Amino acid sequence: MDKMVHTSLRAMQGIMDRQTAIAHNMANADTTGFRAEIVTAQSLYLSGDGLDSRATTSEVMPGADMNAGAVKSTGRPLDIAINGDAMLAVQAPDGNEAYTRRGDLMLTESGLLTTGDGHPVLGEGGPVTLPPADKITIAKDGSISIIPIGGDPNQPQQVARLKLASPVGSDIAKRNDTLFHVKDDGVLPSDPDASVTTGALEGSNVNMTQALVDMIEASRSWETQVKLLTTAQQLDEGGASIMQMPR
Amino acid sequence: MSNGALQVARTGLDAQNTKMRVIANNLANVNTTGFKRDRANFETLAYQQRIMPGAQSDAANKFATGLALGTGVQVAGTMRIDTQGSVQTTGNALDLAIEGPGYFQVELPDGTNAYTRAGNFNLTAEGQLVTPDGLPVVPNIQVPEGATSITIGADGTVSASLAGQTEATELGRIEIANFVNPSGLRSLGNNLLAETGASGAPVVGAGGEEGRGLLRQGSLEGSNVNIVEELVDMIETQRAYEVNSKMIQATDEMLQFANQQL
Repeated sequence: MDKMVHTSLRAMQGIMDRQTAIAHNMANADTTGFRAEIVTAQSLYLSGDGLDSRATTSEVMPGADMNAGAVKSTGRPLDIAINGDAMLAVQAPDGNEAYTRRGDLMLTESGLLTTGDGHPVLGEGGPVTLPPADKITIAKDGSISIIPIGGDPNQPQQVARLKLASPVGSDIAKRNDTLFHVKDDGVLPSDPDASVTTGALEGSNVNMTQALVDMIEASRSWETQVKLLTTAQQLDEGGASIMQMPR
Repeated sequence: MSNGALQVARTGLDAQNTKMRVIANNLANVNTTGFKRDRANFETLAYQQRIMPGAQSDAANKFATGLALGTGVQVAGTMRIDTQGSVQTTGNALDLAIEGPGYFQVELPDGTNAYTRAGNFNLTAEGQLVTPDGLPVVPNIQVPEGATSITIGADGTVSASLAGQTEATELGRIEIANFVNPSGLRSLGNNLLAETGASGAPVVGAGGEEGRGLLRQGSLEGSNVNIVEELVDMIETQRAYEVNSKMIQATDEMLQFANQQL
C-alpha cells in the first residue's frame, strides 16, 4: 500500500511538471520564433524486493517541436523569416554559438545586430556590427548590404552575411538560456542553400488546440492519481478495521 | 505555496495584457499625424533544469533526455515600426510631409531639440513657424508680415512673396535630421521623439540629400497604423489571454480536486 501511494505521488509530480510545460507553451503562443516543448513520461523500474511490477514515472523532454510557425508579413526591413529548417546563429550569454528561429533583428547603440531578445547575431566572422548607414537591406541569402551615410544609393555595399546553419543530422536541444545548442557543444555547419524572407516574421509554432487538449488530459490524469490515493486510503482503513480487537 | 503551472500562466496573462495596451495605443492613434505604430516584443523566460540529460535514472541506466521546464514569457520591450505612413494632400501651405527617412527638428522649452514626423505647422502672431503645440521649428523660420504664397521646396527651402517685391524672397531652410538607428529614438508623447544613446547623433541637412527624405508641401503623413492588422492582433491577443486564464482555471481545479478528495 505504501508503495502504491508513492507511485501515485511521483506520477502527480510528473503531471504537474507537464502542466507547467503546457502553460509555458501557452504563455509563449505569441513569442516570435518560439518552438513548443514536448513532454513525455518515461517509466523508471525500481529493482528490489517483491514483484517487478513497480515502475514510477518521470517526465522528460525529448526535444522541441521543430515544425515551422506561421509567417506574418510586417514590412520592417530588419525582420526576417527563415525559410526551411535552417537556423540563425547567435551568441549565447556564455559566449558559445547557439541557434534560434527568431528573426526580429535590431541595432544597438554601437551598431551591433541583435535578435529581439538581445542575443548578438553571428555572421561568418563573428558578431555582426554595422557601420552607420542610410539604409540597411538583408538579401534572400542572408547577406547584409548598406548604403553608407552620404553614399550613392545605387551602390549598396555588402558588409556581412548572416550565418544560417543547417540542423539536419545534428542533435540540438534548448538550454536554460532559451536558445538551441548542439548537445555536445559543437557548431552547426553553414547552410549555403538557406534563405530568408525579409519584412516578415515567423511566429510561435505552439498549436493552441493541441495545448488545450493536452491541458485537459493532464488535469484528468491528475484526478485519476488522486483517486488512486483515496483508494489506497480506503484499503488502509479497511485493513485496519479488520485487525481491530473486538470490544 | 508557489505552483509552477499557475505562475507560468500568470506571466502569459501579464504579457498579453501589456500587448493589448500597445494595440490600444496604436488604435487610439490611428488618426495622429506622423504616428508610428509600436510592436510588443515577447521573449521566453529562462528554463529551469529539473533533470540533466545523462543523470542516473536508476543504478544501471541514465536519462537519455532531460527535463527543463520553462518559466513563461515576458515583454522584452516595444519596438517602433518606422514604415512610411500614407501621405494625404491637404492643400495647406504650412503642412509638410517627409517622403522617406528623416525627422523635423523642434526646440523644446528647455532648449534641447526633439524630433517629429508630424509636419502640421502653424505661424505665431510674430510669424514664427511652430508646431501645433507652439514649439519653434529648428532652424528658426521667420515669415515677415504681409508675406504671401509661402513655398517650401522638396529640399526644405522656404520662400515667400513679400509685399512690394516681384521676386520671391528666400526665408531660410527647414533641415531634416536622420539617425543611424531611428528605432532607438525615445517617444516623448505629443508626436515628439528624443535622441538617445541607441539612436546615435542626428545627421542634419537638406531634404533629399544623403538618404534623407524629400519634403512635400501641402501634404501630411498620416499614421502608419493599419486598422485591420491591429484588429487581427487584438483578436489573437484576446484568445491567447483566454487560453492562459483557462490554464489557471484547470490547474486550480486540479489542486481543488486533490484538496477535496484527500
